Amino acid sequence: MQLQQENYKELIWMLAKTDFKLRYHGSVLGYFWAVLKPLLMFTILNFVFSSIFNPRVIGNEYYSLQLLSAIVLFNFFSEGTSAGMNSLLFKSQLITKIYVPRWTIILASTINATLIFLMNLLVVILFFAIKGFMPSLGAIIMFMLFSILTYILILSFSLFTAPLYVKFRDLSLIWEVAIAALFYATPIIYPLQMLPLYIQRVLLLNPMAFIIHFTKESLITNHFADFWQNIIFIAIILIAFGLSIPSYRKFSPNLAEEI
Amino acid sequence: MENENFAIKIDQVSKTFRIPHEKINTVRGAFVNIFKQKSFEEFQALNNISIDIKKGEFLGIIGKNGSGKSTLLKILASIFSPNSGEVILDGRISPFLELGIGFNPELSGRDNVYLNATILGMTKKEIDKNFEKIIAFSGLEKFVDQKLIRYSSGMQVRLAFSVAIFANREILLMDEVLAVGDADFQKKCYDYFEKIKGQKTVIFVSHDLDSIKKFCDRTLVLHKGNILALEKPSLAIDTYLKILKESK
Repeated sequence: MQLQQENYKELIWMLAKTDFKLRYHGSVLGYFWAVLKPLLMFTILNFVFSSIFNPRVIGNEYYSLQLLSAIVLFNFFSEGTSAGMNSLLFKSQLITKIYVPRWTIILASTINATLIFLMNLLVVILFFAIKGFMPSLGAIIMFMLFSILTYILILSFSLFTAPLYVKFRDLSLIWEVAIAALFYATPIIYPLQMLPLYIQRVLLLNPMAFIIHFTKESLITNHFADFWQNIIFIAIILIAFGLSIPSYRKFSPNLAEEI
Repeated sequence: MENENFAIKIDQVSKTFRIPHEKINTVRGAFVNIFKQKSFEEFQALNNISIDIKKGEFLGIIGKNGSGKSTLLKILASIFSPNSGEVILDGRISPFLELGIGFNPELSGRDNVYLNATILGMTKKEIDKNFEKIIAFSGLEKFVDQKLIRYSSGMQVRLAFSVAIFANREILLMDEVLAVGDADFQKKCYDYFEKIKGQKTVIFVSHDLDSIKKFCDRTLVLHKGNILALEKPSLAIDTYLKILKESK
């Protein structure tokens, strides 16, 4: 109301940029930290699991590339959702001392997570180049689509939980545990095929499992989910996004009084 | 519009806060208390307030702590939504409920100016155009690229105030901004008030009765969410002093 429409874009971008700067600019290694976390995680997991699984079980020699792509996507999801959930409470000054539409704050935090994801993606590309492996064009397009779907998932989750987190302060603890469980319920370190078929089906109900499994498959073996699977999956994510908006509308108006 | 002279029309605004006896703010708590009757007390912060504020008017608001001053300002700034009634604004608002919203000690003075000004609703173009003037007004040219953490609190306030006045909105809401600065800063504020008096609509909440008397066209006395008086500052201050005495 007080800000004009065209200024929302600048506000969102300013908040996202500031978050990004604050997180990495002050440290000695600067923006390198942004990529260091998934890289370290990758190094450890790659070392541990390359020595446990032998290539025959996994089915290919590009386990490390699959692992890295999976970690970067999952990291995007976990960082994005936590930041989105925390966004309103962390920026409570923007709620109690001035009026800006609350969704701009939520959106800014997810955009900040996206910036970090894009930096991580550079590392993924670098590793593919080092290994000398070129995924098919279809696989690259699929990967971009999955990245966008992950973003929509993060945004929906954030719109849904950020206003609730103001009321229920233990949500972040619950989500932290849930993320840890999701990490293992998602075929990141292991190939989905090593599980019994009925468990595979159950696991694929988790949207991140679907995204990560088919990312790994398509990037390396050029094997895609079939057309209708993809359509249904996209539809489910769009419905989740559609539901998050009325939920946000319902819970966001009286936030200043709650904080 | 018919009432073109009004900058703000407050129409029968009421605000009630629910204060639960036992505040539940965890999922765990919500589960444990799922069948428990929730008990709360209602606190009427504003009771059917109607005021018309003319364009260019300097309106002071005084009242004891808890009389509803800040609630009223927050409703005007759309931070709180009223339970009933409505506020009609003609013009954009610059809320000075707190100076330096969004300021971060880890960022340079320059970055903080851009951040704070964007939050206040300025566009990048406007900030670029006014940046030199903002810094000049604050008198902090030498420190502009230093981190805010190196600023003294007085310097931070000066920087924040400079940004706020260059946000240049038609309606200003001030909640005791004068309480924070030293004499020098207060003089700057007064000079600024003199300059904008008559041009901008200002709502000024203060406990400083002298400046209320000096600047305000009308003064509103709030008491327990009701309007006790809305008249010339000197008369309003008398009313206010009377209720202060009574409550002692």
